[in-house]
Amino acid sequence: MCGIAGILYREPGPIGESLVRMCAAMRHRGSDSTGFALYGEPDPDRLIVRLRFPDATEWEKRVEDIMHSVFAAGGDVAVDHAVDRAQHAEDRFVRLEVRFGGTVRELVHAIEEPGHVEIQSIGHSLEIVKDLGDAEDVDARHGISAFRGTHGLGHVRLATESITAVAYGHPFWAEPFPDIAIAHNGQLTNYYKFRRLLEQQGYRFHTGNDSELIAVYLADKMEHGQTFYEALKDSVYELDGCFAYLLCTRDAIGSAKDRFAVKHLVVANVDGDLGMATEEQAIRAVFPQELDTIHPDPRSVFVWETNGQVLQEIV
Amino acid sequence: MAAIAGITYLSDTRVEVDVDVVERLNRELRRLNDEGVTEVVMRNPRSRHNLAVGQGAGLKIVFDGSCGYYCGGLNNGAVIEVARNVGWGTGEAMASGSISVGGSAALGTGAGMRGGLIHVKGDCGPRTGAAMKGGTLIVEGSVGYLAGFMTHAGDLIVLGNAGEALGDSLWEGRIYVAGEIRGLGNDANVVEPDDDDSARVHALLRAQGIDGEFPFKKIVAGQKLWYFDNRNPEAWLKI
Repeated sequence: MCGIAGILYREPGPIGESLVRMCAAMRHRGSDSTGFALYGEPDPDRLIVRLRFPDATEWEKRVEDIMHSVFAAGGDVAVDHAVDRAQHAEDRFVRLEVRFGGTVRELVHAIEEPGHVEIQSIGHSLEIVKDLGDAEDVDARHGISAFRGTHGLGHVRLATESITAVAYGHPFWAEPFPDIAIAHNGQLTNYYKFRRLLEQQGYRFHTGNDSELIAVYLADKMEHGQTFYEALKDSVYELDGCFAYLLCTRDAIGSAKDRFAVKHLVVANVDGDLGMATEEQAIRAVFPQELDTIHPDPRSVFVWETNGQVLQEIV
Repeated sequence: MAAIAGITYLSDTRVEVDVDVVERLNRELRRLNDEGVTEVVMRNPRSRHNLAVGQGAGLKIVFDGSCGYYCGGLNNGAVIEVARNVGWGTGEAMASGSISVGGSAALGTGAGMRGGLIHVKGDCGPRTGAAMKGGTLIVEGSVGYLAGFMTHAGDLIVLGNAGEALGDSLWEGRIYVAGEIRGLGNDANVVEPDDDDSARVHALLRAQGIDGEFPFKKIVAGQKLWYFDNRNPEAWLKI
């Protein structure tokens, strides 16, 4: 099961509220955890960091330690930290905005230096918020509905391949690439092979979840000169399993489907605004009118850019 | 009078239902049928799943929009009309009755159907008519990948084109395609339909108001996979 959702507005709009509605409409597909990748106004001068402390002991001091560590690495805090309520009392979710001249890898190192913390996302535009429970639970705790932006992803999870835990929920950030996130519905069978290859190149994986691989695998291809579209096309044959996934960058959402079309994906273009989801009824939670929908074929790849351009092919 | 909110009696035999009230709806439709209602108009289906599942003979159910997954599944005689599109598994495992779809259908339309008729005016996605065990499935548009997969019996009639792996691992089902076939599945063979065959298929179409002569190709099983042949194990290994 699991359900994925994507939204892309021509003009900045209520992406948080839309994704919450879409995920709530797919609650029956899984409510072990629900997560959102939200793309707000990009600012090249600062990075938004979303953190989670799985153990809240002395968390305020640990935030200070992280800030000192970022200062020591040459960074600066642009906006002071904000905290969300969490499902479990021992969890703390923290949002920081930092100015950092170095690489994101160096920033990750500086943040992790003082002690155990999970980095949910780093980006100029992207913020990933994921927690246990269904869409309405996560919205109530993290204020997702208030979020405005151009595009984003949602995911409702029925944990089948790995444990029910916040870190194992979707969307996943493609560490260390800012602003790249994935929501995936399916299973990969050759995930370990690619994970080992990428680990040999210095990438790190934090969970046993196969979906985390896809984000890093695609971001690495783009790092090596491929376009988003080319990377997605490669994945159809290189990744083995059944999958339908949505990958977000700062200015596009892409999708790919496996060769056997075992996983659902429905897309609707409503006067230039795009809704995509595992189930049409999720799209209609945002666009209630009768819709003309696209059901991508097996092996089909799409890229929908925020500037309105669409690329598509069956590979 | 209404047992659940959202039901309006237009007359003793015609009822209108707001599909937003989806809970217990299928049970309620069966009760209305038992009460003597003969036609139900379903408003605002909003692509919801499992609508009009397990309904019996004597009832006509009309949806004024698009439905989600498994619409009309396990149909046991009802006449179901959907004005627009349907999702996965429409009419899955139906035994009798009919389902007509004004728009297009997603994956697995008529999968495992045993009898009755499904008529889709638009296109159908992958695995259309997979494991059909009887009945008639008419698609005026095209069908996707792996249509007629493991079809045991019945007629899958396609006026448009067929995707890859058509009729893969076919049993005794019959597939007729008027347009282009992108690729045949394992053990699927194209033959020319004989006159009786052609007359029978055109009669099935005329009964649905589809006139004209269509240049059908007929796809049948090569029967190579029906029995294990130890002189030709490669044929099995492909499955």
